[in-house]
Amino acid sequence: MNTATQVFDDAEKGSSLWHDAWLRLRKNKLAVFGGGVLLFMVVVALLTPWLAPYSYEAQNLDLGATPPSAAHWLGTDIFGRDLLTQIMYGGRISLAVGFIATAVALLIGVTWGAIAGYVGGRVDAVMMRLVDILYALPFMIFIVLLMVVFGRNILLLFLAIGAVEWLTMARIMRSQVQSLRQQEFVEAAVSVGLSPAAIIRKHVVPNALGPIIVYTTLTIPSVMLLEAFLSFLGLGIQPPATSWGLLISYGAETMEEYPWLLIFPGCALTLTLFSLNFLGDGLRDALDVRGSKD
Amino acid sequence: MASAALLAITPHRIGAYVTFWLLLLLLAGCGGGESNVVTGNRDGVLHYGNGAEPQGLDPHVVTGVPENHIIRALFEGLAVKNPITLEPEPGVAERWEFSDEGRVITFHLNPDAKWSNGDQVTAGDYVWSWNRALHPMTGNEYSYMLFPVVNAEAYLKGQITDFSEVGVKALDDTTLEVTLNAPTPYFIQLMDHYSTFAVHPETLLQFGEMTDRYTPWTRVANIVSNGAFKLTEWSLNRRIIVEKSDLYWDRDNVSLNKVVFYPTENVVSEERMFRAEQLHYTQVAPLDKIPAYREMPDSPYVQAPYLGTYYYLINTQRPPVDDVRVRKALSMAVDRDKLVRTVLQETAVPAYSITPPDTLGYYPPKLFDYDPEQARALLAEAGYPNGEGWPGIEILYNTQEAHRKIAVAIQQMWKSELGIDVTISNQEWKVYLDAVSQIDFQVARRGWIGDYVDANNFLDMFITGGGNNNTHFADPVYDDLILYKAPKAATREERYALFTEAETMLMEQMPIIPLYTYTSKHLIHPSVEGMYANLMDSLNLKYVKLIPGRSLPEELR
Repeated sequence: MNTATQVFDDAEKGSSLWHDAWLRLRKNKLAVFGGGVLLFMVVVALLTPWLAPYSYEAQNLDLGATPPSAAHWLGTDIFGRDLLTQIMYGGRISLAVGFIATAVALLIGVTWGAIAGYVGGRVDAVMMRLVDILYALPFMIFIVLLMVVFGRNILLLFLAIGAVEWLTMARIMRSQVQSLRQQEFVEAAVSVGLSPAAIIRKHVVPNALGPIIVYTTLTIPSVMLLEAFLSFLGLGIQPPATSWGLLISYGAETMEEYPWLLIFPGCALTLTLFSLNFLGDGLRDALDVRGSKD
Repeated sequence: MASAALLAITPHRIGAYVTFWLLLLLLAGCGGGESNVVTGNRDGVLHYGNGAEPQGLDPHVVTGVPENHIIRALFEGLAVKNPITLEPEPGVAERWEFSDEGRVITFHLNPDAKWSNGDQVTAGDYVWSWNRALHPMTGNEYSYMLFPVVNAEAYLKGQITDFSEVGVKALDDTTLEVTLNAPTPYFIQLMDHYSTFAVHPETLLQFGEMTDRYTPWTRVANIVSNGAFKLTEWSLNRRIIVEKSDLYWDRDNVSLNKVVFYPTENVVSEERMFRAEQLHYTQVAPLDKIPAYREMPDSPYVQAPYLGTYYYLINTQRPPVDDVRVRKALSMAVDRDKLVRTVLQETAVPAYSITPPDTLGYYPPKLFDYDPEQARALLAEAGYPNGEGWPGIEILYNTQEAHRKIAVAIQQMWKSELGIDVTISNQEWKVYLDAVSQIDFQVARRGWIGDYVDANNFLDMFITGGGNNNTHFADPVYDDLILYKAPKAATREERYALFTEAETMLMEQMPIIPLYTYTSKHLIHPSVEGMYANLMDSLNLKYVKLIPGRSLPEELR
């Protein structure tokens, strides 16, 4: 009896969802690489005020746009500002927008979709019709309205973007939950007497993580680009503050004369997006309970 | 870094390849290997890059610049501008005289002035055409050009409906009498604007009512015009061809046989066509190619000051710019030479006042210069030494890359010279216009292109409550100078002295920060003669000649 209990305990410990996932994730080289790059980006973004080689607003008009050199590793823009510094400061804003706005979208979308999917019936119908209605609103106008009414404010920009990006998230979550609700383990949990909130939190959401994570990694880049678009319209970030999206949109306008102004910010954004995708893929594989418990 | 630098070069190479093949295709396309320029020089055909497809050719309906070029080839006003001096010279009217202290102008029409169907151009045609131009139903956006005429404005606004009350009368077929509200020294110049041109009444009435817009009367088969050229082909988005008219009164002095107008919307391909000798003349020149063109000996690049000023409006009632010392400090802290040299790549002229230099012989006073020392002193005097206690200020501009570049440069100049915080903000064009007209800003960018060559066109913007004042600047002495004293001045010198006085008052109060004067930029083939650079960018095709045997500089072939 004793030994048997012991074995059972060990097995129980070792099969914790998160621990398992972590072990699997570590084996995935691409995911580790992606995670490493992201971590590097975040650390650089946090330390930018101390790391940046130049001031991000000081201009040297007579220098103008110069290609990469020893003094300016990534060259300078038309105002003679160091491009590396611009990219570092731009990364702070872009990463912040990407993560915060996506987190907002995640929080609202997952909660909304999980409730609608789990409760079903009339509640589901009402909640999802609301999502449909919001879908039908031209979302740009919605954001523009929010920004005009509440004024230009970076934090509000994050919230406003998050507030329109949760709709798809809610739909994905709802369909996942609907299929999960039919599963035996959920019925088992119901029969044991767990509250709906606990079932959603402990059994439903963790099992729906795969698609959510994939969709999240897709949301982050689209949010970054949305920010660039809003800034271009004059509703987002204003000079001299900058973001990757803005650097790219300015770079694209002068790409024939000064290609480096487009290529380097483009590389920074692309690298981040690739890393996010690798990490997202790895996370999905690692967390996919169905695919791994063999 | 090396690989990054290599990466940076590649797009250029791709660009070069694409250009090469395109050029080859282009050259292969014009069989026989003779370019447009070579055949054109032989046959007297000018190939003209016109920038865009015209919206139409009805002088009382259209508003654009490409339309202007074609309309002024097809039609002629009562007086035209000399392309060198810009002074008026005879058009349909062979002479004119002023009476009643300049309030009445009598135009004597040239009896040889003919419509292209052989009819004579009569004073009655002008009365009919000005009725059309001013009729509220026509919706002519340039109707205000005729506002100096008695009752013209009231007629447009529907306050009177009888056109005979408007101050224009045909005394006989060749005598037109125009009565003005007040002496208007520049009125003759307005006769060269297409909204004051005559159209052929019978032709228009054949295709609709007088006030109908966009009837088929401007089509090749129908149009009747009175200029040096007549319309012979209009292929949409391809080309428009006009041919020398045999009935034009001054036909002996017209050298060209034909002009072909191309809708060259893409600046880059227009320049490419020019290099391949497909065009004699381009509407603009691509900014990034200008430095290379400048370095060429015998460069075909021609740049000239243009009758337009780029400036920042200041709301003189909103702190901190309600203090004239702050306004002057801001203006003096802008290094215009540097701005023009770097951001604008020498394609503009630094401006220190609102009127462009040499506006028909008038030069604006230069009352200040780039002076950061004095700017700091003025700011300190106003209570912000080294920017301490500065409440912040915002520059507003309409969303466009060029405006952003200038705003970013000026933001930094103010910050580094004066130590003050400046934010910049952009708005979509209509929202921006709304903010400007309601004076809801601190500093806003603005540009003004003159309608006619006269300092009045720039200075009368700033009269109290003027529609384009937009600064709350109000000074009864200034109003008196512009509205009453200057128009009554006996001589041009006297009038310009009054303008100088007014402009000095304006710049002492600095409700605007002038930044630069616009320029016109063209590529002109060496075989073309008679295209004179002038402030209006005004071209009279009547004076243009083609000299065969001249070719582009070595560097371009």
